[in-house]
Amino acid sequence: MAHARPIATTRSATGIPTPRLAVWWILASEVVIFGGLLGVYLMHRIGHPEWAEAASHTQTWIGAINTFVLLTSSFTCVLAHQAAEKGNGKEAAKLLGFTILGALMFLMIKSYEWTTEILAGYTITSNTFWSFYYTAAGLHALHVIAGAIIMGFVAVDAFRGRELHRVEIIGIYWHFVDVVWIFLFPLLYIAK
Amino acid sequence: MSENNEHHDEHGHDAGHHVNYFKIYVILLILFLISVVGPEVGEATGLRWITLITAFGIAVVKARLVVNNFMHLAWEKRIMKWVLATSLVLMLIMVSGISPDVMNHEGQRWENIAAKAEVERGLAYAAGYAEEESEAEPEVMVAAAFSAESSFGQICATCHGVGGAGDGAAGAALNPPPANFTDPAFWADPARDRDRVITVIRDGAAAVGGSALMAPWGALYTEEQLEQVADYVMSFRPDAD
Repeated sequence: MAHARPIATTRSATGIPTPRLAVWWILASEVVIFGGLLGVYLMHRIGHPEWAEAASHTQTWIGAINTFVLLTSSFTCVLAHQAAEKGNGKEAAKLLGFTILGALMFLMIKSYEWTTEILAGYTITSNTFWSFYYTAAGLHALHVIAGAIIMGFVAVDAFRGRELHRVEIIGIYWHFVDVVWIFLFPLLYIAK
Repeated sequence: MSENNEHHDEHGHDAGHHVNYFKIYVILLILFLISVVGPEVGEATGLRWITLITAFGIAVVKARLVVNNFMHLAWEKRIMKWVLATSLVLMLIMVSGISPDVMNHEGQRWENIAAKAEVERGLAYAAGYAEEESEAEPEVMVAAAFSAESSFGQICATCHGVGGAGDGAAGAALNPPPANFTDPAFWADPARDRDRVITVIRDGAAAVGGSALMAPWGALYTEEQLEQVADYVMSFRPDAD
């Protein structure tokens, strides 16, 4: 019994494995965080016709490229899950590596985008539109950074054939980050 | 969208489900292209509903595809769907609860003056921006006519009273009470000259050792406007001309 596992990792009243249950609970709270932020943004956007001028300065093609990058990273991430289910840790680690690469590409593109905007004088204090823009995209970017870091740990473990179930868990989180961007893209870039 | 999967099986999660991930990915990319091109068409044709459907309708479809097929929520235990749905519903209740206040700028007995002014200012700025079509300085729009009397009435009178007698509604609870500019005793101190009044309005009374309750208002006025407001305050003096 020296290596008994904590009860929390073996007990499940719902029938859902505890780690997966935990990540779903995190996402349930994220729904409120992002949903609240985007909902309030949307209401302000409708109540303030003058935001159209500010919104017309976001760079649609950059947002579009980043949408493509995240969708693709979600695809490699789900393939990693598939590999892990088959017990192929090395393949899963490789595919998670591609996903991390996607995260880095996303962040680099975002840095370029923000740099051009800030240099053009559009900062978080310019007006309420830009405040929402940087807050929403910034909160999302923090999730991308967190996801990429955690994915790094999971990938290293997976490469050694350990804790393969975690590939699915980080995947669920990563797809959620993708889903948030799916809504951010039309809200911040398309609706002008 | 979710239940159309032919391999739908509530308990089949760990047994593996044969989603064709590549097919889902290709569908997502096609939808993504529509969501980029659609709004362009909507703008070109002036049909706003095309923009709305292709931008937001497709976002919902994409999100459902990802949630069901990549996150495998379609195969997850029912309780998790309820937990997530509860979260979503609570969020929507909050958003719709505050929507009347955020989206309307006036109601039966209220008016959001600040929001209206912001819309007006923003639209005027946008119009000016469109005219100049260059890197116009983002200058603050200042109301055209400034009058010391109306400014005193809007700002100072809250505490000092419209007549300057220190009897404004918000001042009643203050300790020390707001200065009474009509009281000869107040002006008996020779240090209370025009410069001192200007300083107090600009930097607050605490700047000259007075009460911090008299806040600094310098950010609101130009130097010239400060002088005008100070002159207006001085005009309450009983011995003023």
